[in-house]
Amino acid sequence: MKKPLGLYIHIPFCAAKCPYCGFYSKPPAAGESPEETAGKRREYVKRVIEDTKELGAKYGPGRVVDTVYIGGGTPSILAPELIEDILGAAQESFEVCPDAEISIEVNPGTVTGEKLKAYRKAGINRLSIGCQSLDDKVLKDLGRIHMAAQFKETFRLAREAGFENISCDLMFSVPGCTGEIWRETVREIVKTAPEHISFYSLQIEEGTVFYDRYRRGEFDEASDEADRKMYHEALSVLRDAGYVQYEISSAAKPGFRCRHNIKYWTLAEYIGIGDSASSYIDGKRITNPPFYEYHENTAADDMSEYVFTGLRMNDGIGLEDFEKRFGRGLFEAFPEGERELAPFVREGDVSMEGGRLKITEKGFDISNKIMAIFV
Amino acid sequence: MNYQDYIRNFSIIAHIDHGKSTLADRIIENTGLVAHRDMKEQFLDNMDLERERGITIKLQTTRLVYKAKDGNEYIFNLIDTPGHVDFNYEVSRSLAACEGAVLVVDSTQGVEAQTMANVYLALEEDLEILPCLNKIDLASSRPQETKDEIEEMIGIDASDAPMVSAKEGIGIEDLLEAIVEKIPAPKGDVSGKLKALIFDSVYDNYKGVVIYARIFDGQVKVGDTIRLMNTKKKYEVTEVGVMAPGHVPTRFLRAGEVGYICASIKQVKDARVGDTITLDNDPAEESLPGYKKVQSMVYCGIYPAEGEKYESVKDALEKLQVNDAAFIFEPETSTALGFGFRCGFLGLLHMEIIVERLEREFDLAVVTTSPSVVYRVVKTDGTVEMIQNPTNLPPAAEISRIEEPMVKADIMIPKEYVGSVMELCQERRGRMLHMEYITENRVQLHYDMPLNEVIYDFFDALKSKTRGYGSLDYEFDRYEKSNLVKLDVLLNKELIDAFSMIVHESKAYARGRFVCEKLKEIIPMHQFEVPIQAAIGQKVIARETVRAYRKDVIAKCYGGDISRKKKLLEKQKEGKKRMRQFGKVEVPQEAFTAVLRYDDNK
Repeated sequence: MKKPLGLYIHIPFCAAKCPYCGFYSKPPAAGESPEETAGKRREYVKRVIEDTKELGAKYGPGRVVDTVYIGGGTPSILAPELIEDILGAAQESFEVCPDAEISIEVNPGTVTGEKLKAYRKAGINRLSIGCQSLDDKVLKDLGRIHMAAQFKETFRLAREAGFENISCDLMFSVPGCTGEIWRETVREIVKTAPEHISFYSLQIEEGTVFYDRYRRGEFDEASDEADRKMYHEALSVLRDAGYVQYEISSAAKPGFRCRHNIKYWTLAEYIGIGDSASSYIDGKRITNPPFYEYHENTAADDMSEYVFTGLRMNDGIGLEDFEKRFGRGLFEAFPEGERELAPFVREGDVSMEGGRLKITEKGFDISNKIMAIFV
Repeated sequence: MNYQDYIRNFSIIAHIDHGKSTLADRIIENTGLVAHRDMKEQFLDNMDLERERGITIKLQTTRLVYKAKDGNEYIFNLIDTPGHVDFNYEVSRSLAACEGAVLVVDSTQGVEAQTMANVYLALEEDLEILPCLNKIDLASSRPQETKDEIEEMIGIDASDAPMVSAKEGIGIEDLLEAIVEKIPAPKGDVSGKLKALIFDSVYDNYKGVVIYARIFDGQVKVGDTIRLMNTKKKYEVTEVGVMAPGHVPTRFLRAGEVGYICASIKQVKDARVGDTITLDNDPAEESLPGYKKVQSMVYCGIYPAEGEKYESVKDALEKLQVNDAAFIFEPETSTALGFGFRCGFLGLLHMEIIVERLEREFDLAVVTTSPSVVYRVVKTDGTVEMIQNPTNLPPAAEISRIEEPMVKADIMIPKEYVGSVMELCQERRGRMLHMEYITENRVQLHYDMPLNEVIYDFFDALKSKTRGYGSLDYEFDRYEKSNLVKLDVLLNKELIDAFSMIVHESKAYARGRFVCEKLKEIIPMHQFEVPIQAAIGQKVIARETVRAYRKDVIAKCYGGDISRKKKLLEKQKEGKKRMRQFGKVEVPQEAFTAVLRYDDNK
């Protein structure tokens, strides 16, 4: 049987860099003409296509691609033909199964109805919209180029273009986002009714504008209490609206979990194509330049990663699955694990019922501490 | 001519950073003892720790041969000295082994505090002081001003002081000639009864204790039975020799010479610094002056850290002890920390050095408890207990009185600092005995002070109040009744004995508050609130709370970049390893030392 494989394709271009964003992406250089910008993007896509072919030759045989994810940056900033070319190269170089989940990240303000239809035609069947907030003031503070109305328009156009699997990203604990504003955003988004919602607490990343402000002591950070309140409130609103949380920051209507992201949490294979993209393939972890890393995982690495990534998901990890995969029991592999977990089980942060080790909703608040047991 | 005319016994005294070690290197190099390629930077500072801290802890002695311009070969015995108040006694004994001292002054800095402290020690031993200006190659060098300063502050002629650059190797020849000319030759009586001063001793795995000694009168050879006049112990000499460097055996050592003596001695504490060696069958009548039995002034508990073996710590302590007569230890138990050791030191620096050596040379992780002096507790039934560990203090009802050790502290400072130093001493419960002007600008203050106020960070505070110019020497004087209380620390309502300390009642509140605040900073947040309390008996005098954490989560998904998250978790795990578990509370190991530095923010 062929092994399933995920493809991640990174598009490091943006209209403008958001002050919180720690991903590898660039706005056009100052003074660059639109032609020059377009030329650079074409060049990049050409390179991505070459890499796709090369990787396809190397890793394609014996594997079947069941998820493709085009992320960024802002992939939707590219002309739709370029996206078509990229997907075409993927189809040529790999065996892509007919019901593959093919996602692209789009930002409101960078897509038109035409573009979305073109994506649909190119085979894309899932959209991830970078909404972030539905409050114009918050959006402005986040450095986003769109307003709430534009998001709604984009969403409408996406439905019109035939997208039946849409995800929206939201951020909380961002400057100016009070509990009230956040509640309103979540309520609004639920009304819009996408199939999938991701909700991230703002992370202050090094090398961002927010980080500089934070270092200077000028950043108005949400308190831990406020942050957690927003998290749990959002979960409750989502639950009431029929969403099911399946991962620390994701909830979906039944049948709409993100199959690509789940690969990351289950130690499944994926190949990252393009600058800064990461792969896990043949037991190796590779991050492409400019953040180049290459590491051949040991069995211990695999076990550790399987557990701490798996614990991100509400289902946690199955003790039998672990044993089947690694040939030894979880607590044989981590002899201190049971003892170290005990206080968390006692506090209701971890559940060990039904042959699964899971972090509870309460436990997600302090999940790093629990995961750190397994590194 | 007498052979002694060709010997020069001297040490080099200098302020930290004034280039003592570099100069010693240059002298050694110029006398052709060690080829340049074999030189490690700063030959005399053997321990990594010494090189790093720029201080000499252990004495080093080297015999050099210098062919002078007069055509004669001279033997130079260069005796290096440690440089901290904790080791003043060792310094004074090694100076006592010399006829002179080369005083190195950085010509860009001028005379500084520590220079003075050591100069006075040297003058006390009647040494000839040969000033020498270093770093004259630097543009900021002020040779004339520096000479004036030396003359004014020390009262010695500095007009012909050799001008050198140890770094560039300039003027070294002049210095060597000056050593021949200015430093007196020893004038011992070679046919007299043996009198040799032990100024250092080290333990060697094969030879046992190696004594470093200066022979004042008479001679000693292999087969002689020697007697140590103060400890009254007898040994048969198995080897004598000189440090050239390394041990080079000779047939005998005689008056005026400096060398080593081995006599199958098992522990350095049997050959104490300052003791006089004589021949058992033809003994000298009187021992050399200045012998003191070094007493441990500061005690603390040393415990194996989480995951470290008791036996490994014990082995390491034993190894350190054979080499360090001033360091003592015995087993003890703590409720909080388990099995460990009570250790005695000369002072806080000595303690820090031992702990650092355990960590570095023996690769051990240890936890140290609050240092304490030895209290004399007179109980209601009239019996007396000497208490080194606050935990062992009897219940208040059984105590008639507690006495604390008092010291006579001599503090030397430039006059402009008198005000601030007096304030400092008063704050440390010191009572001024008198004050004298040594020169127009230098003042000596004599204080009566409780030792427990001196040991913590008094020396550091003095240095900072006097911009490094202050020097301190202290000596145990007596026990005195004092109003002392035991201050306990409770974490999550549980008493942690390792934090207990004995403090003066007047300081208990401030100290309690400080300890609570410090622990609040250091103890990480837990899943529950952790109350921190300082208490005297049942009475809580200070309280802080480490609030429970609400959040420790990275929600973001970095594409498939797992390594970023993994690194973060690994860091977290690493931090956890350095924790010590007390009941449900995790305390970082550094908490124990952090609560000591209670003047950090003042």
